[in-house]
Amino acid sequence: MMNSISNVEFLNELVNQICKVQKYENISQYQVAYEVDKRDVHRLLSTLKSHGWKQLSYLSAVDWIEENQFEVVYIVFNWDKPVQIQIRCRIDRENPSMDSILPIFPGAKYYEREAHEFFGIAFPGNPDYKKQLILEMWDDIPPLRKDFDPSAYSDRKFTKRDYPTDYAVTSKDNQRLVKREERKRRATALRGGNKQ
Amino acid sequence: MKSTKFTPYTKLSKTETDRKWWEIGDFFRRNSLWLLMYCTGCCAIELPPAMTSAYDMERLGMGPMATPRQADILLVSGYLSLKTLRRLVYTYEQMSEPKYVVALGSCPINGGIYHDSFAVINQLNQYIPVDVYVAGCMPNTEAVMNGFVDLIGLIKSKKANGWKEYHKNNDWFKENQITALGKVVIDDEFHQ
Repeated sequence: MMNSISNVEFLNELVNQICKVQKYENISQYQVAYEVDKRDVHRLLSTLKSHGWKQLSYLSAVDWIEENQFEVVYIVFNWDKPVQIQIRCRIDRENPSMDSILPIFPGAKYYEREAHEFFGIAFPGNPDYKKQLILEMWDDIPPLRKDFDPSAYSDRKFTKRDYPTDYAVTSKDNQRLVKREERKRRATALRGGNKQ
Repeated sequence: MKSTKFTPYTKLSKTETDRKWWEIGDFFRRNSLWLLMYCTGCCAIELPPAMTSAYDMERLGMGPMATPRQADILLVSGYLSLKTLRRLVYTYEQMSEPKYVVALGSCPINGGIYHDSFAVINQLNQYIPVDVYVAGCMPNTEAVMNGFVDLIGLIKSKKANGWKEYHKNNDWFKENQITALGKVVIDDEFHQ
């Protein structure tokens, strides 16, 4: 029976046979990450699938805006060996596109649609990747990109309540009692229901 | 001497009769309110103590109801994302009149901690009329109960007129809904 350390060793050997690993990270005893080239991802995933990592746990992306790159992350899971594998690959941030892994993991269909919706990554090979999934009728740049400003979007789209009186007490000696009385009076005036 | 025991019968006008019937209706309505709990956010956690033996909503004659068409109160508990707002508008329009809206928490008032989120609306009363707000993040259960008592008082004093406002200013509400949602009724693969 294999323990988890030899699982990791076995994996390293397997992955290095298939493709060139650009960066390796041993996150914990049960979790390893390989950063590979964009073109090697499909080969690597299908090999791992045939070796037991048959469940795609997650697919998402990370926006590295300073390096002008997106990082697509695939997490695969094995029901027999206690090691989760992250496959990471960097893609260009201008016109980001990553070939779909639909032939390997059919369940990736919705993850890819989500990644397209939130990051704007195109997944050629997935027939539905452009359809809306979570955001309904989105009308701006994809919201999880780092250059998207949620606060500005909120200001533009949703009306804000404006408060005519500022009740915040900024300095200690500026008539707190007066402000408190004023607040109390306003609260009484706003109260609904039975008025005594 | 003329007896003062009985007041002489006078025929009431139609508006007067309607007012009396509304008063009778409101009396029974405010003593048996059915809640449609649209538990959108974290304020929903205040409802179990309000419903069960700790505060016992039933003594005010309030109870949970499963369907919008049979409910009197739409209880919005917490933040509303755009997707939820769309469903809330569907639900509100399905409810039979008179209908009241109670909003819990600070998120329907001014956005609360989600005031700068791209997905969460800031003011609920821009989209549907709200009768009672219960402030707090989250409100105490006592505050929630007090909000319900306030609503009962508002119905008694004929001030819970949100549903009339929705008829009167329908164009304004619809315009706000469309500004935020783009389109209220949506059709994609999940809505067929």
